[in-house]
Amino acid sequence: MENRGNLKMSLGILGLLTLLGLIAWVYQLSNGLIVTGMRNVVSWGLYITSFMFFVGLSAGGLIVSSSATVFDIPAFKAVAKPAVILSTVCIILAGLFIVVDLGSPERILYLFIHPQFQSPLIWDVVVIAIYLVVSLLYLKHMTQPAPDYRKLATMSAVALPAAVLVHSVTAWIFGLQIARVSWHSALMAPLFVASALDSGLALLIIVLAGLERYSDYKVEPKLYASLAGLLAAFVAVDAFFVFSEVLTAAYPGEESVTAALGLLLSGPLAPFFWVQVVLGLAVPFVILASAANRQSKSKILLAAALVIIGVFCKRVWLLFSSFLLPLVEGAPGITLGQAPAAGAKLDMWAMAGSYTPTLVEWAIFIGIISFGGIMFIIAARRLLWAREDTARGIRIAPTAAK
Amino acid sequence: MAKKLGMTIDLKRCMGCHTCSLGCKMQNNVPMGMLWNRILTIGGEDVDTARGEFPSLEKSWMPLSCLHCENASCVKVCPVGATYRDEDGRVLINYDRCIGCRYCMAACPYNVRVFNWQKPVREPGHSYGEAPVRAKGIMEKCTLCVERTAKGQEPRCVEVCPAKARKFGDLNDPNSEVSKAIRERGGQQLLAEKGTKPQVYYLR
Ligand code: SF4
Ligand code: SF4
Repeated sequence: MENRGNLKMSLGILGLLTLLGLIAWVYQLSNGLIVTGMRNVVSWGLYITSFMFFVGLSAGGLIVSSSATVFDIPAFKAVAKPAVILSTVCIILAGLFIVVDLGSPERILYLFIHPQFQSPLIWDVVVIAIYLVVSLLYLKHMTQPAPDYRKLATMSAVALPAAVLVHSVTAWIFGLQIARVSWHSALMAPLFVASALDSGLALLIIVLAGLERYSDYKVEPKLYASLAGLLAAFVAVDAFFVFSEVLTAAYPGEESVTAALGLLLSGPLAPFFWVQVVLGLAVPFVILASAANRQSKSKILLAAALVIIGVFCKRVWLLFSSFLLPLVEGAPGITLGQAPAAGAKLDMWAMAGSYTPTLVEWAIFIGIISFGGIMFIIAARRLLWAREDTARGIRIAPTAAK
Repeated sequence: MAKKLGMTIDLKRCMGCHTCSLGCKMQNNVPMGMLWNRILTIGGEDVDTARGEFPSLEKSWMPLSCLHCENASCVKVCPVGATYRDEDGRVLINYDRCIGCRYCMAACPYNVRVFNWQKPVREPGHSYGEAPVRAKGIMEKCTLCVERTAKGQEPRCVEVCPAKARKFGDLNDPNSEVSKAIRERGGQQLLAEKGTKPQVYYLR
């Protein structure tokens, strides 16, 4: 089968990229986070952005699939399996992004040995762990030859709130910080859940189309139209929250908030903000709002891709809007934390933040995502392809099945 | 009553000489490329520049290091309890516990924490201090010179300031020098509206 050759090749390429990422991580481990673009002013970067992004993608997928059972939407049940595989993979990736962000990852077990429950980061560790267990159990039950529907219903009743919670807690990591004006907002959790819903669903749609193209997995064409309708609604909710947040920030004209807002509207973060607003919210909504467009798979896919890009941009502007401006002003500013190279002019100060991810960060970023691709392909092959065989009660090793 | 160690910094006395900043750096073996204690020129465009329009010009400085907040955001967010408040009210970091997540750095409203992004580099011959050295991937910041103050000495910055702008003492003792100065001069906390309750007060 020609697909098998393709599959091997894509696994090979993904494996290579994963390996490259791993090498980059080893390099980062031995040199420290100095090999990234992060310093004392902008102390979080691409890794944390991706962490938020993947928690969102994951939560979105699980929310859609578990609400299929909870609210008994038969049409959506068909996609429950790929959706849960997808959200499991995404949550693992989110966890990996935290691991590579740590300055002393060899102490990561301290998170479990010495948890300090006042920290939202520990809340996140707890809910992500629960979430992962729930997703795996859910997946296990779902892929039983004869799934027990009562159990599935219970599982999804747990999975749905867990998915909402996991993204809310991630939002609270930022939203509870009084130090940072552009994060400190009660709307942070709803805002995060909204982007989880739209980006997660968008990714699910794209993955379904991919599965259809590259495997024997079949999706009813009508399903795309109804998922697209749902996506339009999610996008609208996301846009509503963003608007409400920006309006609330802008209206009083308070100095520090206005400065942070300036970064978004016309400052260095403007490209990300406006790409999200225009390409990530307005355009997809216009496309999906028309019933005729919802019949066209390619238009739906275009809209879904735009939503995902938009939500990534949203993560970027959300994170950095609080990092670029110094919290206490005054020359010479903040020390960056980088020792000057031998003989170089002493340049350890910054009056404002700036950040560009380095090659190492990109390599690790691509490596982690490629690893996710591998996990997804392998899981999908085992759990989706082999469906017919297991349905008949014969368990055939996936490689032998083809 | 338990102690609440604190400090006052008299901005009318501070003359921007950076002595305390360097004294701190040596006392605490602070690596190159970072400072625990830095001197900001208030309002000016560059170091030691005046603010305002001629002829109404003004020039002043504000030393800034960890303010040892009573309601410290950094302590709350640390996932492993590496950042903590000791019984005398100092906010300290357990260097053997810190996992380097930098959440505390995001949570501190004053940008005073510094991180070891690389293996710390120290100028040979410039490590005089008693403070233990820190490793790569660990957070650090002002400790109120815990090695000295635990023995009843003053923090190095207080000792070396040639203008005698800094005072150190127990805020819980109404008769301490710091308590009196705060009362008499109307000591102010930085960004008081954030509610972090710094134990370092500025006298303006
Ligand atoms: S000034 Fe910053 S680092 Fe120091 S105690 Fe307050 S919040 Fe923590
Ligand atoms: S960097 Fe260290 S001290 Fe700061 S929050 Fe993380 S573990 Fe705690």
